[in-house]
Amino acid sequence: MTLGLAVVVPKAVQALQVLTILVGAPLVSGVISHAEARLQGRRGPRILQPYYDLAKLFRKETLVTDESSWVFLAAPVVAFSCYLIVPLLIPVLTTYPLPLGYMGDILGGGFVLALGGFSVALAAAESGAPYAQLGASRAMTFGALVEPTILFVVFVVGLITSTDLPYALAGAVRSSSEIVRPGHVLAAVAFFLVVLVDTGRIPVETHTGTLELGMIDEARTLEHSGPALALLQWGSAMKQLILYTILINVFVAPFGLSSNGTPVSVVGAIAALLGKAMLLGLVFAVIDNLFSKLRLFKIPEFLAAAFGIAVLAVVVFYVGPA
Amino acid sequence: MGALLVLLLAFPLGVGVVSYVVPVRVAKVLAPVAGAGAFALSIALVPSVLAHGHISAGSELRVDSLSVVFLIATSFLYLATGVFSAGYLHLDAGPTGARYGRRFYAGMNVFCWAMLAAPLVSGLALLWVAIEVTTVVSALLVAIDDTDTATEAAWKYVLIASMGLGISLLATIVLYYAGTSVFGAGYDLSYAKMLAAGHHLPPEVVRLAFVLAVLGYGTKMGLVPMHTWLPDAHSEAPTPVSALLSGALLATSFYAILRFYQITTVAVGSTFPRNVLLVFGLASLLLAALYLLRQRDIKRMLAYSSIEHMGILAIGMSFGVTLAFIGVLLHVLAHAAAKGTAFFGAGSVVRKFGTKDMTLLRGGVGALPWSGSMLVAAVLALSAMPPFGLFRSEFLIVSGGLSDPRYGVAAVLVVLVMLAFVGLAWSTTQTMLTSGPADVALQATPDTALQATPDTALQATPRVTKGEVSPWIVLAMALGIAALVLLGVHLPADLSRLLDHAAHELSTP
Amino acid sequence: MLAHVPSTTAGVEDVVAVLVLLTEFAMLRGPLLRSQVRLYAFQSLAVSVLAVVVAATRHVPDIYALAGLSFALKVVIVPAVMMRLLRDVDVDLAGSPKLGVASSMLVALAVSVFGFFAVGSLHFHSSLLPTTTLAVAFAVVLVAFVLIVLRSDVVSQAMGFFSLENGVSIAGMVIAAGLPLVVEMTFLFDLLVAVVAFGIIIRVHHGRSRTLSTEELDRLRG
Repeated sequence: MTLGLAVVVPKAVQALQVLTILVGAPLVSGVISHAEARLQGRRGPRILQPYYDLAKLFRKETLVTDESSWVFLAAPVVAFSCYLIVPLLIPVLTTYPLPLGYMGDILGGGFVLALGGFSVALAAAESGAPYAQLGASRAMTFGALVEPTILFVVFVVGLITSTDLPYALAGAVRSSSEIVRPGHVLAAVAFFLVVLVDTGRIPVETHTGTLELGMIDEARTLEHSGPALALLQWGSAMKQLILYTILINVFVAPFGLSSNGTPVSVVGAIAALLGKAMLLGLVFAVIDNLFSKLRLFKIPEFLAAAFGIAVLAVVVFYVGPA
Repeated sequence: MGALLVLLLAFPLGVGVVSYVVPVRVAKVLAPVAGAGAFALSIALVPSVLAHGHISAGSELRVDSLSVVFLIATSFLYLATGVFSAGYLHLDAGPTGARYGRRFYAGMNVFCWAMLAAPLVSGLALLWVAIEVTTVVSALLVAIDDTDTATEAAWKYVLIASMGLGISLLATIVLYYAGTSVFGAGYDLSYAKMLAAGHHLPPEVVRLAFVLAVLGYGTKMGLVPMHTWLPDAHSEAPTPVSALLSGALLATSFYAILRFYQITTVAVGSTFPRNVLLVFGLASLLLAALYLLRQRDIKRMLAYSSIEHMGILAIGMSFGVTLAFIGVLLHVLAHAAAKGTAFFGAGSVVRKFGTKDMTLLRGGVGALPWSGSMLVAAVLALSAMPPFGLFRSEFLIVSGGLSDPRYGVAAVLVVLVMLAFVGLAWSTTQTMLTSGPADVALQATPDTALQATPDTALQATPRVTKGEVSPWIVLAMALGIAALVLLGVHLPADLSRLLDHAAHELSTP
Repeated sequence: MLAHVPSTTAGVEDVVAVLVLLTEFAMLRGPLLRSQVRLYAFQSLAVSVLAVVVAATRHVPDIYALAGLSFALKVVIVPAVMMRLLRDVDVDLAGSPKLGVASSMLVALAVSVFGFFAVGSLHFHSSLLPTTTLAVAFAVVLVAFVLIVLRSDVVSQAMGFFSLENGVSIAGMVIAAGLPLVVEMTFLFDLLVAVVAFGIIIRVHHGRSRTLSTEELDRLRG
């Protein structure tokens, strides 16, 4: 019986990790848009509005352009599944790695995320619509420029923990024997900027805008409708929550996680994660209000700054005091 | 004896505060009295320092032979400047003049107080504080004339000197950090403690601290390449302030470097600090000598001469032998007297002719028989001519340098000093000893032109009458010349022993 | 007496110090004079917070006074005075930098790496004090130098000096919390004098040439 539990509990927790991301993502998005609206003096949508939107979209029919092939409909499903896989690999709820956590390291997780982004871009290209293709090409371009920053951030994780497992870095932050070093903070800041870019926020993109010419991420889904669009939007919310989770639970504040897998601690961990994600979302909402969007050709400069910080983070580990 | 230290610290500050309240004519008298008092107190310290090695009052005040040398230099210049100011300042009768006078005298006394406090304190932290106060006060004094150029000079001075002080604070902090390995996290940076524990300090950290200290305090001392504020501030400040900046403030910053030198020598040996000082000293001497050759502005010329002499001090330290150290300390004393006198003379000339541009100045000695000739004498002294004190001191430095295996440096030193001599002597003789329009009737009213603006520089040679500007100026300069001759011809026995002691403190800290 | 520094504190100190460094980078980048002053105010706020952290965790109550003073002076008074002066002169943009944004950032990155390198190459590990924060402080000071050298307007130069003071403050509080308080206080005093001198130069200089560029400050040379 106890043996059975020992096998079942980790798997159940692992499934809960995925479920938390799956179910929690629209909630976090809803909180952010609500907060943004309040900051701008509007009343704003209900916090649960994303759920209603998704439900509505799932009830509608899907329209496909004549020119599109099967890729157009398959891509949203592929992207959605990618975002379901990543939570298996990162510390969402527990301090210790769960059985499937060793399936991939932090780079593996990055690849799966990138595959999701790639399939969305593929679908946009497949649609044949000019704005969708514009968005897709921009997203891939900037994605390529963000890539080196992410790599350097991963190097920092490796330098601190001598492993490439996100769990280990979180453990290092928690333990008070290992102090938080400047390189770590710099890497966290660089990753914060990456999250800004990857979730399509100011100063890179106005995510609430309706002007197609300035769009990047948003433009990619213009041609989709019905359940396919629902999957894309849901997937995008999940990607956002996944990135938040990595920033919070790996770099900044890996506190409140379950260390033993008891039901109480797991429930606590879910609440803690969502709470921290909402707080982080508030930070992003404030940034949205404080700054203006950069002109498109200034974005590489922004990415270069993130890259510079990431490089500094790595270099100080080699030349700085231990 | 500790009471003397407290008195020396309290007296000038008190006079500074009082000067701000009392009428200017009282302040005018108070300043030389305070200077004389400080000088007498500093001299009075000599016998007991020679007898006991050091005197302390509380844990904050402590002087040894090294500090007394700098106290004497500063307080002598304090006295001379006090006398000079009485003759130099021509104040309007109205409230503007009174306000200027009040500010000037309060500022000058507090400035001298801070410079006297620097050698009096017992540790590096308070030393930094004292030097920081000198910056704050002297910056306000540089800007006191409120002209465009004075403002520009003050801005450069504040910015550059403050950055230098930021770096020297960093040096102090780094040294503190080094000391934590011996003393734990909380302790005070007193010299005695640091020197005693010097062997246990981590050498790399001390090296970093020393380099930072030379960069930081070197900025205030005017070492090339951190010297850029110096000619501007010296030429735009009122002349008494220029004299104090050049003769005393630079030396005070040098004193701070010497304290770091002592600690560094104990911790890592003397080779490293000597090499650092050699680099900066040679750069300063070379650049100053070149600039002296093409200088038109008389006060800027004296400012570059200060950079030259600071370079000589740094090179003297880099020789690392006691003989050179004695020369260096004597040089500090003689330079204070010579540079003070030269600036007083320059101030007298500027008052008389209304311009600082030496291409327009002719017949200085004719117009100013006393102060003009003494200016020439002071410039000769600055060029290390006998029988003045700087000849003796540079002779000692060079002799020390020749005992070093790297005697090439001493040769370079001599060559560059010669070059500087050519620049200084050429401009001065052209200005002072030529026959000029001294006997032509007075047309311009040069006495009102306190600052040489570009407009006055464009005018033809000003026409002036013969006669001294003020007897006080002559008296102040005579004091300086007398001191220079005394130092050069017959060094008092006690002073000689004091220099010996101080040099030994430097070579075997 | 100073207690042994707990490592979590060192972590917090590092975080705040790195924030100060990043603000310094932002100041180097920002073309608007006003935004420079705001960034400086933010940076000073970070330094004041650090002072509180140091005072609380190492039980050096003196530093609370320093934190209060530095907050009042550097977060409130100095930025307010600067803003007021800027409003009076009606100049918005900083003088043209001597290098492009990208190049100056690269220079800044290079010098901050050098700062870390300089402290790292000491090979000295104090069990009492966080060496890493000293390294960040060095980097801040060096980037402040870059700011002063590369910008050619009096506001940026003043801001550069003020932020240099912030860098030294960090080092002072973290490394030398036992130094007499009077040291830090004097430096704050120097800041005030710099502000006064700054006010005078703005008045005189702007009154004469209608700019804040240092290119015009060339009467004294040679």
